[in-house]
Amino acid sequence: MTIEGQISKPLSAGNMLAITGGAFVAGSLIVFGAILPAEFNWDPLGLGRATGLNRLWAPREVTFDTTTGSVPLAREYPMGFRTDVIEIPLRAGGDSTRGDELEYKVRMRKDATFVYEWSVPGVSNPEEFYFDFHGHTLTAAKEMTVATYKQATGTSANGALTAPFDGVHGWFFQNQSVGPIVVHVKISGFYELIPPGDTGNEAGIIANVPADKAFGEQ
Amino acid sequence: MALLLLSLLIVDSNFGTTFAHGIGGRDAAFVAATKGPDLVPFIYLGAKHMVTGYDHLLFIFGVIFFLYRMKDVVIYVTLFSIGHSITLLAGVLLKIEINSYLVDAVIGLSVAYKAFDNLGGFKSIFGVQPNNKVAVGSFGLIHGLGLATKLQALRLNGNGLVPNMLGFNVGVEIGQLIALVVFLVVMLQWRRTASFERFAVAANALILTAGFMLMEYQLAAYFSAGKV
Repeated sequence: MTIEGQISKPLSAGNMLAITGGAFVAGSLIVFGAILPAEFNWDPLGLGRATGLNRLWAPREVTFDTTTGSVPLAREYPMGFRTDVIEIPLRAGGDSTRGDELEYKVRMRKDATFVYEWSVPGVSNPEEFYFDFHGHTLTAAKEMTVATYKQATGTSANGALTAPFDGVHGWFFQNQSVGPIVVHVKISGFYELIPPGDTGNEAGIIANVPADKAFGEQ
Repeated sequence: MALLLLSLLIVDSNFGTTFAHGIGGRDAAFVAATKGPDLVPFIYLGAKHMVTGYDHLLFIFGVIFFLYRMKDVVIYVTLFSIGHSITLLAGVLLKIEINSYLVDAVIGLSVAYKAFDNLGGFKSIFGVQPNNKVAVGSFGLIHGLGLATKLQALRLNGNGLVPNMLGFNVGVEIGQLIALVVFLVVMLQWRRTASFERFAVAANALILTAGFMLMEYQLAAYFSAGKV
């Protein structure tokens, strides 16, 4: 007998179990494979990483005011002083694999300082090279503090930075000129290099090697 | 239709914010700023909440899926409306606030329940058929609890509370009626096709999947609320 609101030919117990099980598995796969990595930064199946879905997740950004704050003029640091030369090859502007841009940062403790200089020989028009000098906290939490030091075009800069908070600090470089170029960065001070692949050096740049070895032996 | 709803769920560009399905953004700011009765906007908000609320919509869609007689449609939808109106009004008046993730998880479960029931699952697997009118009315109570929680999260002003809340409730019913008309038109056409029974099984399997998905998503949101 048909019950109102139901299918006229009820399914057998076997079919019903298969459908319910299948629905549960499918629903769970979507939740654990896609929704959790994208919405909660939680990737129990590793599918978020495999598919790139986890890149959809981003912590809420809290902007740090870079114009205020003061540190003692004379400071001492527990870590050693270091100097690094980094050569960053970038492909011609508009590269389809986005090889024309990358981020290179270093790890710093709050109030640590570095001095730097960078330049891009071979770009004739300073308008065709963009950089974003910035830093942010390293956290898996919902909030991430970000500080923007300078966003501009130009082919060289030199100066100093005192980190406003623990985190990664450095540059996003983007080549907009027609040919491949190499960015020469020199940093000295109190910081740590970020191992290739880690946050802040996702591009995997190796420091203190010539540009043709910056991505490792190829 | 179920496919369409499911794909809507998946491609919704505001996934994160709308998935929990609250009242957000400028609407929330409006409600918080309202002092005194403001009927029409609240009717609109109620209708909007219903029409954009895929969890409520999926449940109603499941309920009417196999209701062939208009009389039955009216009976079931009325039971659902009475259920959610009771808890919506009582919830707001008595300031009952239950964690919205948990309520939404049960609402997801109600979607799965009805799809399971539609295919005759209770009889074939458990050998018993729960009373459908009681089930739909009870789930109506839960859906209303969800509505009450969302409305209260907006810090409703005490001044004009009762008319505004009633307006919201009326809006919910209007929105439900709009959705219902669309569903019925689609179902009436669909049922005439020869392949209906076959696709009906697949459609309910999809609704079942969506129900499990909504439930698990809300549970995950609940458990990670403090962590993430």
